[in-house]
Amino acid sequence: MSHPSAVRIFLKTIVARAFPRFVGSYRNRTWIVTETLLPLIGTIAMIYVYRALHAPARYLGFVVLGGVLLAFWQNVIWAMATQFFWDRGQGNLELFAMAPTSLAAILLGMALGGAYLSLTRAVTVLIVVSVLFGVAYSTSGILPALGVFILTICALYCLGMLLASVFLFYHREAWHLADALQEPIYFLSGFYFPIRSLGAFVGGVGSLIPLTLGLDAIRQLILPGTPQFIPLHWEIVAVVGQIVLYAVLSQVSLRYLERLARQDARLILRST
Amino acid sequence: MIATIAQWRGFKAATWLGWEISSNWTRPLMFLIYSVLRPISAAFILVVMYRVISGRAPGTTDYLAFLVSGVAFWSFVQYGFAGLSNGMAEDRGEYRMLKYVYTSPVDFYLYLFGRGLAQLASAVASALIVLVVATIALSLPIDPLRVNYPLLVVGSVLALAAVIGMAMAYGFLQLQAVDAHGYGELGASVLYVISGAIFPITVLPGILATIASLSPLVYWMELIRRSLLGSHAIRMFPTLSDADVLLRLVVTTVATLLLAHLVFSWADRRARRRGLIDMESNW
Repeated sequence: MSHPSAVRIFLKTIVARAFPRFVGSYRNRTWIVTETLLPLIGTIAMIYVYRALHAPARYLGFVVLGGVLLAFWQNVIWAMATQFFWDRGQGNLELFAMAPTSLAAILLGMALGGAYLSLTRAVTVLIVVSVLFGVAYSTSGILPALGVFILTICALYCLGMLLASVFLFYHREAWHLADALQEPIYFLSGFYFPIRSLGAFVGGVGSLIPLTLGLDAIRQLILPGTPQFIPLHWEIVAVVGQIVLYAVLSQVSLRYLERLARQDARLILRST
Repeated sequence: MIATIAQWRGFKAATWLGWEISSNWTRPLMFLIYSVLRPISAAFILVVMYRVISGRAPGTTDYLAFLVSGVAFWSFVQYGFAGLSNGMAEDRGEYRMLKYVYTSPVDFYLYLFGRGLAQLASAVASALIVLVVATIALSLPIDPLRVNYPLLVVGSVLALAAVIGMAMAYGFLQLQAVDAHGYGELGASVLYVISGAIFPITVLPGILATIASLSPLVYWMELIRRSLLGSHAIRMFPTLSDADVLLRLVVTTVATLLLAHLVFSWADRRARRRGLIDMESNW
């Protein structure tokens, strides 16, 4: 009897893990509502803050683009980083660990499905808020911005894979840690204002999160007049570098922490 | 007398349970750190947004104080509303204990009030830390010796009663759904937009501004700023005196509590008829 090759199993695992997220993106109406409306309302609130301050129109664009990427960040936190934590609580993680495939393939499948799911929510935020508040973008920069966006999402989900392995170490604090990775990250990544406003040091620390430089690059491309943090081409290089860095780190970290988790029997620990 | 003691014990147990669940049995210090990070960051996001537009010109601290005080006290709504309304769904779906509480001798309102009060303990710590950090870091015009504490306390007690009332009603409405995950946060987000916490409600379009003016949260925010900042407070209702704002807060709070009671009673009857209180939900 012939066995499927390792590559085939790897690819099939990715598809199998992504599938529930593709299907789930339309099946669970509750999640459609919350995943769309939460970033949408948050974005609208920030737009009204700028309106109250009589800010120039391009600042509304800053907020809208921040709101778009916010949908992805929330997905990375709640459906990537914490996913193994939930899976462990539900007893799935031990099944994943026993299955004849790798956790890396499962994570890649989660990332693929999660990125698609978030895209549907993000597009809604982009269209609704842009139309409601009459936000205009530079059409000449849209294609390059799409390219930067794809790179940013790749880097972001690689970071998500890294965080997923780190979260294996957390017990009861996991929920709070995920909570704490929201507003502080919105602040450090400049979701609602140009990252340059944070200065070189804080902006530099924030740049460890792929969203920061990716968002700044996208803003520079489609919102003329965006204060430049670092030159556009360096931002793109940095984001590409982060894809490689976080992909490698996530694999190293996953193997190391998986081994430790097996040693300490944390793969079967219930802590939700 | 015995019945009162039993109710008091139930209330105490509910408050303790609420605290343990909201902290997920973590160490209190860790929970506090995580709880404070969010509102502090939210305040600094608004500070940077304001600085980007207005720079550091003289007189900008008054508006910064407007933003910071709104965000600091918003923790009460975030924890009280989202925490309590989600808590009811969690009690049913995750912990599967709502039916036992419902059928126990403790008054259900009292149980929920205790559960909500525990959430507010986190909010107090969070609001205090945000105010202290922001006042020192941004030189805000908040002088602890000049705060109008009676106005602050009366306004806050009224508003928190309204928040807990709304959360109870909203939480019971959530029980009508099999999966209401995230709806507590969603409700709190809507309130955030119409509460005047981070911008004056006059910025909102007509109908939203009208709805906002019927909410006790707007008058609470106004009283917080007046009591904390005195003459430095940027007023959403410049023509109203403190007494007028307080009166409006009383009226809107009473109306909110009445409405919440009606919604709660309706949702309660419906839940009992349809067997929703002990329904298995896909947690």
